[in-house]
Amino acid sequence: MSSVPPTKTWWKSKKTVKVTRSYPTFPSLTAWEEFRGLLRVDGEPNPGVGLGVEEGLLCQKVHSPEFNLFPDSVVFESNFVQVKRSRNWIDIYKASYTMALGVTSSVPCLPLPNILLMASVKWHQGQSQTWNRPSIAPNIILKRILPLKFVELQVCDRLQRILRLRTVTEKIYYLKLHPNHPECVFHFWTRLVQILQKGLSITTKDPNILVTHCLVPKNCCNPSGDAKLVQKKLQVSHPSESLIQLMAKGESEALSQIFADLHQQNQFSFRSSKKLETNKDSSGKGGHEEDSIPCTRDLRWRDSFMYGEWERENPSGPQPLSLLSTLAASTRPQLAPPIG
Amino acid sequence: IFSLNIYILFYLPGVGKSCLLLQFTDKRFQPVHDLTIGVEFGARMITIDGKQIKLQIWDTAGQESFRSITRSYYRGAAGALLVYDITRRDTFNHLTTWLEDARQHSNSNMVIMLIGNKSDLESRREVKKEEGEAFAREHGLIFMETSAKTASNVEEAFINTAKEIYEKIQEGVFDINNEANGIKIGPQHAATNATHACNQGGQQAGGGCC
Repeated sequence: MSSVPPTKTWWKSKKTVKVTRSYPTFPSLTAWEEFRGLLRVDGEPNPGVGLGVEEGLLCQKVHSPEFNLFPDSVVFESNFVQVKRSRNWIDIYKASYTMALGVTSSVPCLPLPNILLMASVKWHQGQSQTWNRPSIAPNIILKRILPLKFVELQVCDRLQRILRLRTVTEKIYYLKLHPNHPECVFHFWTRLVQILQKGLSITTKDPNILVTHCLVPKNCCNPSGDAKLVQKKLQVSHPSESLIQLMAKGESEALSQIFADLHQQNQFSFRSSKKLETNKDSSGKGGHEEDSIPCTRDLRWRDSFMYGEWERENPSGPQPLSLLSTLAASTRPQLAPPIG
Repeated sequence: IFSLNIYILFYLPGVGKSCLLLQFTDKRFQPVHDLTIGVEFGARMITIDGKQIKLQIWDTAGQESFRSITRSYYRGAAGALLVYDITRRDTFNHLTTWLEDARQHSNSNMVIMLIGNKSDLESRREVKKEEGEAFAREHGLIFMETSAKTASNVEEAFINTAKEIYEKIQEGVFDINNEANGIKIGPQHAATNATHACNQGGQQAGGGCC
């Protein structure tokens, strides 16, 4: 990889600079090392913009007067195609429909993103889907804003560049990075997944403080092992633990509420549909409804969700944030093992 | 084209906020809906007084953990639908607290409509219509009972809220040049997005601009 000659980047091409700076397309980069050579230098264009992962269509939409959301926060975004599992991955929607996925922060000084943005993108017929600032704007329809703490993001299929997104309400999306994005963009998402799971170098290294970002644990259906471990660790007296526990209390309560809500909604849905079910005489339906919201039978795993300073919504002091530079700060991508 | 931000608010799940939104934007009823986490958005074009108005609707989660975020954007709402469930007394009992919360964090001119949803479930009614009317009268709210299931009064709830906002705009109560009020006079190109949003909601799009 290191022997690959430096790529002639889109902004170094004098003849095309005007065009590409106004309407940059994704450069055809295929290796992380190549991107490393593109890191921003003062006075040069932001490579994130050139790659379409910063100041993109979703960012523009969210920051527009229509929404005016998180105006001071950077948005890291990419286009995805929603796919479903079969023998091979199959696109769910037609080619003109893509999904924009982005992360940002409710407060710009947070060291890590805490908001997930989801939007549908309807491209005009025949329009190149790689353009960052197209002459004819595609229709961007903001669909959802989710707190990242209620979302699990995983690399599902590295070769196919597919992410698996699961919400705490058990809604699962398989999202394939748009083919026009260069490989390094998927590395960024992989790195983001790692950061969300493990934190950054600036976050705590105290092994007694469990920093688990995601509220949807991998072992949710088998909580006995790790839950015990967590409880055991929590018994160890440590001043910072008390602080973290206090900080986590609010989240724990929020979780309790959510799952109480889920149960309540389940019961309510069940009650509402009871008559219908009786008519259908479908035995075991109630059990199926319970199954539709996993992790609700045994809620002990919730106790394992402890949060560090980096997850607070209002940190005590300003901290640096540039999502792209944070992602690029890694020496090289350490790809998480695929789960699918 | 005016763009109005309207929030659907409530602090307990299962009262039918998302179903109201779906009925209004897509004209369909989905009996079981995923619990809203964060904010979900819907949009539809309507016409008031010959003016094309895009309603941008924010379906907000009731969870306290996310409320700190949504609260900060209440000020950007021109109107809100405060929804309770007529078959659940508990959803009505705390309205005063939640109304105070909404008012405290919102634009003082925000139009609030009180909605008693699930009016089709008359046999299970726990909150009388008169109680809802009295609460609304006491707190200066507009009031309606709706059914997201039968679509009864759903159109009216959103459109009447928009009309009330529109009247305030006409009266000069809202400063339409201040987008922080949740009102935006869109540029010509806004029609493209609005039309799409409208089509997505199964509605006929109007191409004109006020």
